[in-house]
Amino acid sequence: MRLIRIFGLQLVALVSLLGCVPSAERSSGYSYDPNGLHSASLARDAQLDTDGALLVSREVAEYLEGMFGTIDAPRLPDLEMAAGVLDMQAVERCSGPVGRKEDKIERGIYRKHCVVCHGLSGDGKGQSAMFLEPYPRDFRRGTFKYKSTPVGGKPTRGDLVRTLREGIPGTAMPSYRALEESEEFSQDVEDLVDYVRFLSIRGEVERRMLTKILRDGEKLEEDAQWPKDLLGTVLQKWREADGLELEVPEKPSWMHDSADVQSRELAVARGKELFESELTACSKCHGVEGLGDGKSQDYDEWTKDWTILAGIDPRERGAWKVMKPFGALKPVLVKSRNLQWGAFHGGGDADSIFRRIVLGIEGTPMPPVARAVNGNPGLTDEEIWSLVGYVMHLGRDRSSKSVEGGE
Amino acid sequence: MTTDNGLREEDHGGKVVRWLAFLAMLFIFPLIWVGGLVTTHDAGMAVPDWPGTYGYNLFLYPLATWLYGPFDLLIEHGHRLLGSWVGFLAIGLCVAAWIYEPRRWYRWASVGLLLAVIAQGLLGGFRVVFDERTIAMLHGCGGPLVFAYATFMATAASSDWKLQGVSSHPPRAGGRGLWRLSWFLLIGTIIQLVLGAQLRHALPDTRPATFMAMVHLHLTFAIVVSVLILWVSIAVRRRGLGDKQFFRGVRKPANWLLLLLVIQVVLGIGTWFVNYAFPWSELFPWLAHYVIAAKGYWESMIVTAHQATGSLLISMSVWLVCRVGRRVVPLAQTPDLPTMVRSGLDSGLGGVGEIQAGVHG
Repeated sequence: MRLIRIFGLQLVALVSLLGCVPSAERSSGYSYDPNGLHSASLARDAQLDTDGALLVSREVAEYLEGMFGTIDAPRLPDLEMAAGVLDMQAVERCSGPVGRKEDKIERGIYRKHCVVCHGLSGDGKGQSAMFLEPYPRDFRRGTFKYKSTPVGGKPTRGDLVRTLREGIPGTAMPSYRALEESEEFSQDVEDLVDYVRFLSIRGEVERRMLTKILRDGEKLEEDAQWPKDLLGTVLQKWREADGLELEVPEKPSWMHDSADVQSRELAVARGKELFESELTACSKCHGVEGLGDGKSQDYDEWTKDWTILAGIDPRERGAWKVMKPFGALKPVLVKSRNLQWGAFHGGGDADSIFRRIVLGIEGTPMPPVARAVNGNPGLTDEEIWSLVGYVMHLGRDRSSKSVEGGE
Repeated sequence: MTTDNGLREEDHGGKVVRWLAFLAMLFIFPLIWVGGLVTTHDAGMAVPDWPGTYGYNLFLYPLATWLYGPFDLLIEHGHRLLGSWVGFLAIGLCVAAWIYEPRRWYRWASVGLLLAVIAQGLLGGFRVVFDERTIAMLHGCGGPLVFAYATFMATAASSDWKLQGVSSHPPRAGGRGLWRLSWFLLIGTIIQLVLGAQLRHALPDTRPATFMAMVHLHLTFAIVVSVLILWVSIAVRRRGLGDKQFFRGVRKPANWLLLLLVIQVVLGIGTWFVNYAFPWSELFPWLAHYVIAAKGYWESMIVTAHQATGSLLISMSVWLVCRVGRRVVPLAQTPDLPTMVRSGLDSGLGGVGEIQAGVHG
C-alpha cells in the first residue's frame, strides 16, 4: 500500500508540474510575428524611438493580414496576381496545423517539416534556431543563397527544389529526397516551394512597407495603393527569376576525359594561379591552401541589416544585446568554406561550383567573379572552369565528385 | 508441493496473473515506441476522428487501406490498435487478479492499472478530438507512467517479490540509503522524461531562448540521472560484498540501468546530431559531408529510440525500487524485523504474512 501511496503522490506531483507548463498550445490560431527587428533597426538608423517603431511593425502586421490572410488561412488580395509565381492551393495545403481531414489530404506540411528551424513566420526564429550554425534562413529578406540567378534576382523554382531535395551538407537543413521519392508525399516538396515563396513575398512586402513608413515617412491608410504596388513589384521579381537563370557553358574536355591527365593538370595549375591572384581574391577569405582561414571574414547581410544599419558594431562584445528584445540572435561571423573538405553547401558538382563562382552566394561575403561576357572584362569561361577544377582538386581526398574522378 | 523456503509452489491462478501482468508490461513498450514514431512523424492527426478511424469502427478499418495507406496513417492507426490490445490485457489482468489474486491491494492495483490505461487512451483521443498539442504532450508523459505502473504490477506478481516476502535471508542493515537513492532515481527519470516530452512537443511558436533553456534543463537532468545511476551501481556493488546471493536480485536492475544509461547517452547525442547536426567539421571533416535525411529511417529510429529508452529507464527504476524495497525496507523500518518476519509467518498476520497467506490460500 505504501508503494502505491508514494507512486500516487508522484503522479500528483507530475500533474502539478505539467500544470506549470507555459502557454497551452493551440494547434491553430497563431499569427505572424511582426518584424520588430527590422523596424527597430530602421528606427535606430533614422534616430527614431524604437518603441514607436515596434508599434508601427504591429500595425503593418495587422494590415498585412488583409493582404496575406493568417498563418492558418493564407490568401492574396487578387488571385491573378499569383499567376506564374504561387500555386495558392499548394500554399493552403502547407499552411495551418499538421494533419489530415476526412478527405485524407495531409495539410500543415510546413509546420511538419520546417517550422522547428524557420519559424511560423519564416523569420528563421524557429525554436531550435540558437543551436544551429549557420542560423536558419530568414525568408523575409527575400534573399536566397544557393540559386542560379544573379545577385538581386530571386531563386528559380528549381533552385528551391534542389535545396529541399539535396539538403545542405554539414548543417541542420535536411534532404527531403525521401519525400519526393515516395508516392504519397511526392507533391510535398513542390508545395513547400510555393509556401516558402509565399512567406518570403509576405515578409519582403512587410520589410519594404516598414522602410517606406519609417524611412520615407509614408502613411499607412486602409485604402492605400502603395502596399499593393509593393506586392506587385515583389511578385514581378519572382516571376522574372526563370528568365535570369545562368546557363552553365559546356564543360571543357579535360573534365569529361579522365585519360587527359596533362590538360587537367594544366587547367588545375591555372586554377590555382587564379585562386591565389588578386583578380579573384579567393584566397583572401578561403586562404591560400583553401582551408577557409583567410584574413578577410565578415558577417552576412541578415546580420548587417540590424547591426551595421542600426549603428551597432557586431564585433563589439555584447553591443548586439541592445537588439535582443527585438528578436536578435548573437551575431556570428560567416566562416569561409574550407575547400579541402570537398563538401559544398550549394552542391558539389562542377556545374554548381561554376554557378557559385560566377554568381557568388547572395547575402554573404562570397561575391560573384567578373565574367568576360558581352565584351566586359573578367574571367573567361575556360578560366572559370580551371578555377572549378582547382576547387574540386582541393577537396579531392574527400569529395566523391572530385574532378579526378572525371565527373 | 513446497519450495525450499517453505513456500507452496505457485498455483495456476498465480501464473495467470503473473503472465498477464508481464504481458501488459511487455506490450506497453512497443506501444510507447509506436507512439514515439507518431510524434517523430507528426502523425498525431493522421486520423482526424476518434474513437473511430475515418468513420469506421477502430477494429473494422479495412486492413489493406491501413497497411498500404500513407505512413502516418499506418502508425497512428497501429498505435490505436496496439493501445486497444494493451487495454484488453489490462482488463484480463484485472479479471484474473479478482479471481485468483489473494492480495487485496494487488486486486485494487490492477483496477488502477486498467483505469490508467483507459485514462491514457482518453488523453490520446482528446488530443485528436481537440487537436491540442498540449494534450499530446500529456499523453506522451502518461505513456511511460503507465509503463512504470505496469512494471510495478509485473514485479509485484513476480516470484522474486513473493519469495523476498517470506525469505529466510535476514534483510541487510543500512539499506535505507539505497532505497532512498532508488526513489530519487525513479523521480529523476520521470522528471527527465517530462522535460524530454516538453522538447518533443514544443509549440511551434516557442521562442529560441525558451527552447534553449528547456534543452539545458534536459541536459542538466541527464547529468543528474547519470550520476544517480552510477551511484546506485556503486552502492549495489559495495553492499553486495560478502553477501552476493542476497544482493543479486538488486544488482540485476542496477546493471540494466547502467547499460541503458550508456545506450541512452549515445542515443541522446545521436538525437542531437540528426536534428541539429554538429558544427565541428574542423575536427571531423566527415561531418561537413553529412546530410540529414528528413524523416529518414535512421533519423526517426534514433530519435524515437531515445524517447523509448527514457521510458525503459523509468521502468527499470521501478523494478529497482521494488527489489530494493522488498529486501531492505522492513529492516530499515523495524530493527528487529527478522523476529517479526518469523512471527508474521507463523501467525499469518502483517504485511509479509499476508503474502504468505495469500500464496497458500
